[in-house]
Amino acid sequence: MDTDMDMDFDTLAEDADADATLAGDSGGEAERYDAAEAEADLLRDRLRLAVISIATSEGKKAGMTVADPVVACIADLAFKSAEQLAKDAELFAQHAGRKSIKMDDVILTAHRNEHLMGLLRSFSQELKGKEPASERKRKKSSKKDDRVIDV
Amino acid sequence: MDEDPTTGNSPAAETFDPDLIHAIFKLVWRRRAEKGGGGNEDIDVEPAPETSRRNRRTTANASALKVSCELLRIFVTEAIQRAAFIAEAEEATVIEPTHLERVLPQLLLDF
Repeated sequence: MDTDMDMDFDTLAEDADADATLAGDSGGEAERYDAAEAEADLLRDRLRLAVISIATSEGKKAGMTVADPVVACIADLAFKSAEQLAKDAELFAQHAGRKSIKMDDVILTAHRNEHLMGLLRSFSQELKGKEPASERKRKKSSKKDDRVIDV
Repeated sequence: MDEDPTTGNSPAAETFDPDLIHAIFKLVWRRRAEKGGGGNEDIDVEPAPETSRRNRRTTANASALKVSCELLRIFVTEAIQRAAFIAEAEEATVIEPTHLERVLPQLLLDF
């Protein structure tokens, strides 16, 4: 198992090298598909960096150090779940007849886990509270008016 | 206890960058739109939205991205906390892949 992980790291490093060379002669015959793949790899690496900082600080809170393969695995899973989240949120928005994702779409993707949904709800409430925008208030009041009319 | 300057600088450093998440989302949406154009999807009742309004792709508003960042952050912290719990039970100080393996099934069910 350990050897497998090492091998994964090697291939990852090779991928990174390949990206570097690809970026060098991107003006050439690089196909659109390859460009998209390269972009995906770049995003995956950026996400991994973010996951590393979050995971190590979280480990520190628990008084533990986190082994590198663990962080790499979590980063990979985080990327996959981000992809899934994008799909779900898009589908929910489409279902609502919208082209833009709203907070509720994201919260709805967590509907299987009530606790998680509660956490996200309170987070979104916090966000709403932070926003000073008068625009939001206007929207809210107009919504209320609508409701009154509906009732 | 011991204040580490690298981690204790700001709480903002401990979440994801909304721009990064937005970039990932856009990538997925573009990929899906292209696949739909290829005629692979027969579930899609709407006759290819990108042909009618090509310039209008799915977008996300800023607060939705922030909530997405929070969701992913919770995912990562939960993974670490649960693995740390197992590691603690085994009196280890390093979170090893075996500890993560133990919590992974439930973690993936929960997200």
